[in-house]
Amino acid sequence: MSAHTVEHLEHTESPSDMKSQIWKTFWILLAFTIVDIGLYFALDPTMIRNWVFIILGVVKAFFIVSIFMHMKFERKFLAWMIILPMVLVIFLITLMVVEAKYVDDHVNKDSVAKPTTEEVHDTHAH
Amino acid sequence: MANSATLTTDTKSQWGGGKSPFSISYGKLMMWIFLLSDAFTFSSLLVSYGFVRYSFSGNLETPWPSPDHVFNHFPFLHGLHLPLMFVSLMTFILIFSSVTMVLAVEAGHRMAKKEVAKYMFLTIIGGASFLGCQAWEWSQFITGSEAGKVIADGSIFHGATLSMNEYGPVAFADLFFIVTGFHGMHVFSGVVLNIIIFIQVLNGTFEKRGHYEMVEKVGLYWHFVDLVWVFVFTFYYLI
Repeated sequence: MSAHTVEHLEHTESPSDMKSQIWKTFWILLAFTIVDIGLYFALDPTMIRNWVFIILGVVKAFFIVSIFMHMKFERKFLAWMIILPMVLVIFLITLMVVEAKYVDDHVNKDSVAKPTTEEVHDTHAH
Repeated sequence: MANSATLTTDTKSQWGGGKSPFSISYGKLMMWIFLLSDAFTFSSLLVSYGFVRYSFSGNLETPWPSPDHVFNHFPFLHGLHLPLMFVSLMTFILIFSSVTMVLAVEAGHRMAKKEVAKYMFLTIIGGASFLGCQAWEWSQFITGSEAGKVIADGSIFHGATLSMNEYGPVAFADLFFIVTGFHGMHVFSGVVLNIIIFIQVLNGTFEKRGHYEMVEKVGLYWHFVDLVWVFVFTFYYLI
């Protein structure tokens, strides 16, 4: 037995044009970031602009995971195993948006509109 | 017999034992599982940021500050109003270091030791520059503006701590410190890991081992850090 036996690892092969795919992904990420910055100055802060930013962010994440992290070339089962649990995050966001709306309506707006004795104990004392 | 076994490789024997059903090594699979759990941690931090911020829209006394008026500095350009410019530079640095990392992985597949070393070195430089930028950003945030804010006892408070800040609600500074700090901590550990792997590449450890899989593993971690920054950038600075 030689001291350094060469190990053989299971892995999925990269495509032969990996280098050009890497650079293509880099230009896509760069372009989307520049679009982000452009929209930040071009549009007024509205909910629509926020959604555009979030969608661009998800698209950028897709390119990073699929090309840079090699997920596109792995087995589908692995990809789903990692991506599907992220659905729970959407669930969490939904819950928290509802809760935040409640806090906003019933704690902040109420205390501004009709000052009550409650306000004395409010966090405004900071 | 041997023939029929190889023919069914892609379907039934996939889960028949003796090989990884994912065609991926144990270490890489575990790195993916770790990144998934880390993704949950960052998600909950960003979701709590969203929660706190969204619930402040009706608070007229201490409204949520616009990032425009907080993060508008650039090194050596004192006093100019340059929103988003510095953080865009940081984003470009991190994206580029991600590219050099994936090029190192690609060179590793070809067993090109010199190229792996070169790209790993560039990645370390990128990560270190990002950390330097973040340190500057933090010091700007903590020092605060010259005007500051008049507080209850009549004195003027500049900058931000965990319990007070001149920009708006206390939670604004707290979440900034926690989210960017947690991300910066990840970048820092990534740079340390990259340095360890870089030294091992130079020592020829992976050449002896016959593969550069460790470069792929730290690569996965490094891209994840870049991925998280995409969302920190989106939620903290753009929205």
